Amino acid sequence: MEINQALITAAGPGQSALPLQRLVDRDGIEKTALEMILAKVVNAGIDSVAIVISPGNEEAFRRAAGSHSDRVTFVTQSEPTGYGQAILCAKSFLGDSPFLHLVGDHLYLSSQSKGCVKQLIEVAAAEGCSVSGVQATRETMLPFFGAIGGVRLPQTERLYEVKRVIEKPTPTKAEQELTIAGFRSGMYLCFFGMHVLTPASLEILDRLVAIEKRPVSLAEALNELADRERYLALEILGQRYNIGVKYGLLNTQLALSLSGVDRDRVLSDMVELLASQKSS
Amino acid sequence: MNSQTSTENRWIETILSLDESVRHRTLESLCMGLDSDALLNAVSELDAFRRDASNLYHRVRAHFFLSAIYRYYLPKTFPETQAGLLPYEAYQHILSRRFPEAIDQLLVVQKEQGPTLVIASALSRAYHQLGIQTLADQVRRSVRTVRGNQWMFRIGHPSEHPLRLNKELHQRDGTMGDYPILCEKTSVRMDFSHSGWSDIFFLGMDYPEGARVLNASIDLGVYGRDASTRPPVEAYLRVIDRPVLRLVSTDLGVEAEITEIDDVFDFAKDYLGLLKSALIASGVVPPAMEGCHQKISQLLKSLIGKEGLGLELVSKVNDIPKGSRLAVSTNLLGSLIAVLMRATGQVSALVGGLELQDQQLITARAILGEWLGGSGGGWQDSGGVWPGIKRIEGMLAGIDDPESGISRGRLLPKHTILRDDRISESSRTALQNSLILIYGGMAQNVGPILEMVTEKYLVRAEKEWEARLDAQRIFEKIVDALEQGDIRRVAKLTTENFTGPLQTIIPWCTNRFTDSMIEQCRERWGDQFWGFLMLGGMSGGGMGFFFEPSVQAEARQWLLQTLVATKREMQTRLPFATDPVVYDFAINNRGSWCEMLRSDEATMPDGYYAIVAPKLIRQDIRELSEQSQRELMRLNRSCREGDGRARWLLDRLLPQTQTDSDTKSQLPEMLRINGFDRTQHEQIRNDLLSGRIGLSENRLPRQTLIEDISLNDIIDLREIGTRYSRSSDDAFLGRQAIESGQVAVVSLAAGVGSRWTGGAGVVKGLHPFAKFAGKHRSFIEVHLAKSRLSSELYQCPVPHVFTTGYMTHAPIETHLASVNNYHYSGQVLLSKGMSVGLRTIPTARDLRFFWEEMAHQVLDEQQQKVRESGHAAILGWAKSVGEGSDYTDNLPQQCMHPVGHWYEIPNMLRNGLLYRMLEERPSLRYLLLHNIDTLGANLNPLILSKHIESGACLSFEVVGRRMEDRGGGLAVVDGKRRLLEGMAMPNDRDEFGLTFYSSMTTWIDIDQLLRAFRLDRTTLGDTAKVENSVRAMAAKLPTYITIKDVKKRWGLGQEDVFPVTQFEKLWGDMSTLSEIRCEYIAVETMRGQQMKDPAQLDGWVRDGSAEYIHSLCKWS
Repeated sequence: MEINQALITAAGPGQSALPLQRLVDRDGIEKTALEMILAKVVNAGIDSVAIVISPGNEEAFRRAAGSHSDRVTFVTQSEPTGYGQAILCAKSFLGDSPFLHLVGDHLYLSSQSKGCVKQLIEVAAAEGCSVSGVQATRETMLPFFGAIGGVRLPQTERLYEVKRVIEKPTPTKAEQELTIAGFRSGMYLCFFGMHVLTPASLEILDRLVAIEKRPVSLAEALNELADRERYLALEILGQRYNIGVKYGLLNTQLALSLSGVDRDRVLSDMVELLASQKSS
Repeated sequence: MNSQTSTENRWIETILSLDESVRHRTLESLCMGLDSDALLNAVSELDAFRRDASNLYHRVRAHFFLSAIYRYYLPKTFPETQAGLLPYEAYQHILSRRFPEAIDQLLVVQKEQGPTLVIASALSRAYHQLGIQTLADQVRRSVRTVRGNQWMFRIGHPSEHPLRLNKELHQRDGTMGDYPILCEKTSVRMDFSHSGWSDIFFLGMDYPEGARVLNASIDLGVYGRDASTRPPVEAYLRVIDRPVLRLVSTDLGVEAEITEIDDVFDFAKDYLGLLKSALIASGVVPPAMEGCHQKISQLLKSLIGKEGLGLELVSKVNDIPKGSRLAVSTNLLGSLIAVLMRATGQVSALVGGLELQDQQLITARAILGEWLGGSGGGWQDSGGVWPGIKRIEGMLAGIDDPESGISRGRLLPKHTILRDDRISESSRTALQNSLILIYGGMAQNVGPILEMVTEKYLVRAEKEWEARLDAQRIFEKIVDALEQGDIRRVAKLTTENFTGPLQTIIPWCTNRFTDSMIEQCRERWGDQFWGFLMLGGMSGGGMGFFFEPSVQAEARQWLLQTLVATKREMQTRLPFATDPVVYDFAINNRGSWCEMLRSDEATMPDGYYAIVAPKLIRQDIRELSEQSQRELMRLNRSCREGDGRARWLLDRLLPQTQTDSDTKSQLPEMLRINGFDRTQHEQIRNDLLSGRIGLSENRLPRQTLIEDISLNDIIDLREIGTRYSRSSDDAFLGRQAIESGQVAVVSLAAGVGSRWTGGAGVVKGLHPFAKFAGKHRSFIEVHLAKSRLSSELYQCPVPHVFTTGYMTHAPIETHLASVNNYHYSGQVLLSKGMSVGLRTIPTARDLRFFWEEMAHQVLDEQQQKVRESGHAAILGWAKSVGEGSDYTDNLPQQCMHPVGHWYEIPNMLRNGLLYRMLEERPSLRYLLLHNIDTLGANLNPLILSKHIESGACLSFEVVGRRMEDRGGGLAVVDGKRRLLEGMAMPNDRDEFGLTFYSSMTTWIDIDQLLRAFRLDRTTLGDTAKVENSVRAMAAKLPTYITIKDVKKRWGLGQEDVFPVTQFEKLWGDMSTLSEIRCEYIAVETMRGQQMKDPAQLDGWVRDGSAEYIHSLCKWS
């Protein structure tokens, strides 16, 4: 299976300015968050990207995309009617091909040389089915993520066959339906904010949106997808950083800097800061 | 293979076998024909087996086999003279629940000294309790391991809270600006089948095939009060504008605001334990947060996602009395848990009905909540959360279940809802048109019964096991009859179940009240009375009566009147908590249901405003939060609309005149007519407050030398007591004395038996406690039946005196008149009590001494927590009411107290009864004095002969001590033989060096006793002289301060137990007086044992004691 296109959602309420935030990357170069995301996508071999934005943001996003702006198609979601609805806005762009989907308020740092996006795309291409990036997460964080239940594929270390998907499950539900054999108690596989999806997911979303008449989450569609066709989850070797939460941007910047060329400088700045705090 | 090995193997083979015919072999068949050596080998092997057994139920079954052998079989194989002594340390281990250590120590002693009565009784108790403890621990573990419950035991800090409140609940209404209210309405459950208490976890988890009930969710209305039926329990939840947890119980009339997380775990601090259990079991305050010392506001911030907001949880029971056996408490817990789980997204729907998996989850959480609260119910109790009629059955544990490899069955049962295609609408209607549900008014502790059932099942007691199998057959027939719509057959089967299997398994599941109601139904309605249904653990609470539909309406009215009349007639004999109630009921086919109340509909139930509004009104309006101000505005509007609220609001805000019936106003008069001595009372209060008397001052000085008695210093009749021949020469003097009318019997019946009814204040002597010759008989009837047999055997009617007190005189007099003295041919006389005390509030010093210095059985972990939390509340109560002040906040009878059994004989002197008896019967020389609960005491001519031969004034009967015989004994104190009260022991340990326990039964030489009082048969008629001599004698005897439990009843069947202080003088102290010559006669245990607690009854029947008593009686 070939994956040549990507979809980034950035139209959620309060989300529209996040990809425009400027950060310093691992190489010490100042970039927008969007530019960093696009770089990872392009680096994974994808040359066509759609970004779902809210009305009136196209110009700012185009500027923020920097050198990748010519690969980007902007799709406008006129009203913030829901996550699933946002994805559906790009239906005609995506056509009948599998696609990579990322959220616009997350940055990913791989813990190995191969980037997070590339890890996911390689597996999806090899397995020929939808694959979601997941990460082992403590139950205390369940209110913030979608989570999956499933079984580990034989002979693999980080690949799971998904049986069930629940958006922001309570720990009660998670314990009943999402436990994974071999995991410590209270640990679940939660979404990493990164998926490779087949067109079937769009069909399901389309139908759900038509029936439910309410905001539909991607997790609902993916739960149905798991019933319908082979659907896997890959435990990504890396970290995700949500720049939309309190101190999210700061944490993301620190993570970038401490794993990059400016590590020593940032560390010494922090020590100095701590020392001056103490003396004051 | 030698015979010894085959005996040992038989027990273990029974436990291990997968073959049902072997596994279900009964205790009796295993013990048959085994002598002492074989039994000792069996217990030794079983003990080794239980130490290594990895399977829980194998271990537990071995524990119960061991307990039963030590209790019922081994003691019969050695002589009673092998009484032995109990090591104090082993006793302490048992009290502190260190059962394995206790067993090890007791086995060492047994090995060194051989089997003894006291070691056998202690081992029996230790094994029994270890068995129960192991089971309880396992249930608790299993509850925790149910998927969906585990996470709550990991989340220990509020900032990690993984639940979020549904956003709809903190969105204010547009017009009024109020938060909506989530309102859950839930049914209660009724069990049609009563399949032999098979819903106890301990049974269901070992024998899932036999665990089954037919459970229906029902709505209730009180007949004559409510226009229609409705779900009896309701739970309300809303967001409030203060960061606290506000809990309100409208039925108990209490509210509390919780600001610390730790307070949620303080169950006994107030009456809100059930609401707190719901908060914990629902995961809103996860159990792992116990002891986290954090603020509730921190938790609320995580949960609600906003600062400054809190939650209010309100419970309401629609005036259904406690103890109705319809699992009202569990279903209220289920309702509260359901509303909290809906609000936090743990079940699928915020409003409306519940999905199957939600009902299962709530059931699991309700079980968790009950175990957290220390109550521990059965698995069918939350049936009201489910819809309609369902079979609930035990399930074999599968490989994926957490119980796999631990128990045969799963913790949680399977529910199969029997829909219309199984039980048609017409069958349901026919059922409702025939069955009348009632609450009999008795609230009894079913805990001991559940333990008895468990033990009898695990050892497969023979007839009980057969009965269990019978109950299972009847169950299937009941289901079939209900499916056929044949209600008459249902009624016949439930009656057959009650009179057959249930009473075979537990004879105590019925009582005189229930039997009487069934008899009256049969008499009045003949064939139109179709049958009886027992609800819950025991009868007297919830019951059902089936009638022909054409007479149901008439029968309902009659039933109510008859229930009330029968209760009135029996209320002095049986512990009723409230008046009986007749219900209307309807099967609820939709299960627990939830609605979101918004804007004008968002009001709490009436009872809520009765509690909260007066408190708000007393505050300055400007200090109230906006939400509280709006609450008052809404109340104002509803008062103006004239729906009766204005009146009850005034009643709560303003004081009202006390009516004549006010019980407090009757107390002074009651005290006056019962001989209350105010001067003595004030003296005792002063002494108490100044520390001159108190619990610790009851004790003799520490340097007192306490020694055990030598067997040479007593008359030992333990071995020949029951075997002597009435015509033997040894018994000649006694026989002659009885035949010539020299003896009378005195039964002490002035006390109310605090332990017997937990302080309920009924007349113990009149309590129809057990069936003899097919009929419930009271203690008094048993004592008269013994005297009847003596009178016939010796052809001389024996006078029988019952001493009475302020609380027991009138009921005993009335009862004896109503039964014509049970047609006793001799004189039946009452000796009326002449003095009474007034109970006082205990001092904090005495309470602490009572709880901390005196030996108490430590309870199971969670129950102990609840108890300790209760202690703090009681200390607070004592301090706030006033230490040492008069206890007047109860019925007058419950505020007064009898002043100790020493006064009983002096009362016979003071009230002139003994004088009259001697006048009428100059031949009278001896009295046999005994406690009301010493059932074996009778006119035994051999013992009387020994008393006469000894020339003693008083001969006290003593028995070999068993584990449960606490409270003093026969000792040599500083060189003098005497009875020593437990309270007077300088050290708890001293009691454990004494072989003999006092039965209190005393043979009295009347003339010697009169001389000791400085009286004689003539001066006994001189009232003033008698008064002086009694006072002089009293002054020589110590006054003991004791703490007793007293029940206070309130609301609908609610009962509180308070410890109160009283004083008493005790008869055994007569043995301390040098001018009175005393003798001590050791008698067999069955003669001297006392019946103090209803929990003893079952063992008393099984060890042959009941049969022994029956053999001493002749019934009228």
